[in-house]
Amino acid sequence: MSSLLLRILYGFSPPLHRQLFKWPFVLAAGKKDLIDLPVLNEEDLEEQFVRGSGPGGQATNKTSNCVVLKHTPTGIVVKCHQTRSVTHNRKLARDILREKLEVEYKGEESELLRRQNESIQRKQVKRRKVNENIEKKRRFKETLNAEDFGFKSQEP
Amino acid sequence: MTSKTMWLLGRLMHRHRGGLKLSSFVRSASCTAEGAVAPPVDSSVTAEQAVRLWAQHFTLHGISEPLLSSQYIIAHVLGRKTLDGVDRRRLKDPLTDTERVSVWKLCTKRLTSMPVQYVIQEWDFRDLTLKMKPPVFIPRPETEELVGLVLEDLRLIRGESYGTDLRCLEVGCGSGAISLSLLHSIPQLRVLALDQSQAAVCLTRENANRLGLQDKLEVQHLDVMGDALLSKCGPVHFLVSNPPYLLTQEMQSLQTEILRFEDHAALDGGLDGLSVIRSILVLASKLLKERGRVYLEVAPCHPPVIRQMIEETMPGLLYLETRCDLTNRRKKVKQV
Repeated sequence: MSSLLLRILYGFSPPLHRQLFKWPFVLAAGKKDLIDLPVLNEEDLEEQFVRGSGPGGQATNKTSNCVVLKHTPTGIVVKCHQTRSVTHNRKLARDILREKLEVEYKGEESELLRRQNESIQRKQVKRRKVNENIEKKRRFKETLNAEDFGFKSQEP
Repeated sequence: MTSKTMWLLGRLMHRHRGGLKLSSFVRSASCTAEGAVAPPVDSSVTAEQAVRLWAQHFTLHGISEPLLSSQYIIAHVLGRKTLDGVDRRRLKDPLTDTERVSVWKLCTKRLTSMPVQYVIQEWDFRDLTLKMKPPVFIPRPETEELVGLVLEDLRLIRGESYGTDLRCLEVGCGSGAISLSLLHSIPQLRVLALDQSQAAVCLTRENANRLGLQDKLEVQHLDVMGDALLSKCGPVHFLVSNPPYLLTQEMQSLQTEILRFEDHAALDGGLDGLSVIRSILVLASKLLKERGRVYLEVAPCHPPVIRQMIEETMPGLLYLETRCDLTNRRKKVKQV
């Protein structure tokens, strides 16, 4: 059903990876609500581990442990060195990749994109209200000052 | 520092956003072994500026990973593990006096090529944060994979919750990374960890206490090459080790960080890199329960030699598998 909808939206046959919509989508917990994120097949992944120069293992002592993950069917590449543990970076890289694939596969229907846009809009509304309040207060203060002056000039 | 270096440093500092005023500064008094001196600083330096300043300074003095070193050290002073974890606005605020003094003190240590892990006295290994202290060997990322492999294998053999009553022996525990990681994941596991270095034994015990795992881990100061171990260790389900496996001839070309600060005995495996591994395998053939396993991290050249050694001289053991790590260099070896 979804792939049919995409065909209507784009007016042409979607790329191969969109037709693979039949892949299992699992619910993943994230930010209080559940989002459908694609399951990753390890066979579709190329992983590289950036350790800097050197032979590696005991012979090297470097703090860089960046993981580079490539999803071969789509060509999407994710880099992660957010933590000091390579095991965690590998897991995070996969999480980030799953989010990118969700956006890639679902395009405009992407749940992630929708939430991001909502969040941006909420912040814009909030900022506008804050600015309005500041402006109101400023004007109120001005009228107070003007009244003061007016009063003083009436004294003999 | 030569006058040319001083001039260059002056030019670099003037290009800073907000500019550091050289006319009013506090000079850090410590000198490094090569005479490298910390750059001058004034009290308005922000975290961001300090990161850049020290990265440039490390580069100037040929310190490896200049930007990463600067980032990790300053994040640590600000109470975080990585600079990403520090609030964006915080990075633009001036450092407090205490923070600034701390940053300058720690970064000056890094100028001596002291590994970052020793400078900040901690590092992460899988789910754990461990205390680090020279000269105890700093756990490598490749060894995180060894632990992953052991856990995966144990789940295959004993089921998802690892079965009941599991006992393990670790040879060469260092900071306790492997043992503590396994204990963290397998509540019913009991471990005996050995190291020939008293400093390592103390550090492993300290890390066990910090993690509340001291009741499940026994640490002994023993040398697998020399001491009579059989009376001190009962039979175990499996043995794990990241033993010294470098060839003696490889030792001289190591980074300054390693040569100057880490225990060479934790690295040097003798002429063929197999001296400790050989002793571990002999011990394994006597200590392992029926169908017990040995998991070892070894050098890339070792697996075929080890296989041959086992087939020819250790009839009680069977060579099972070699797995490559992520970099396809180091290998993990399994025997039963």
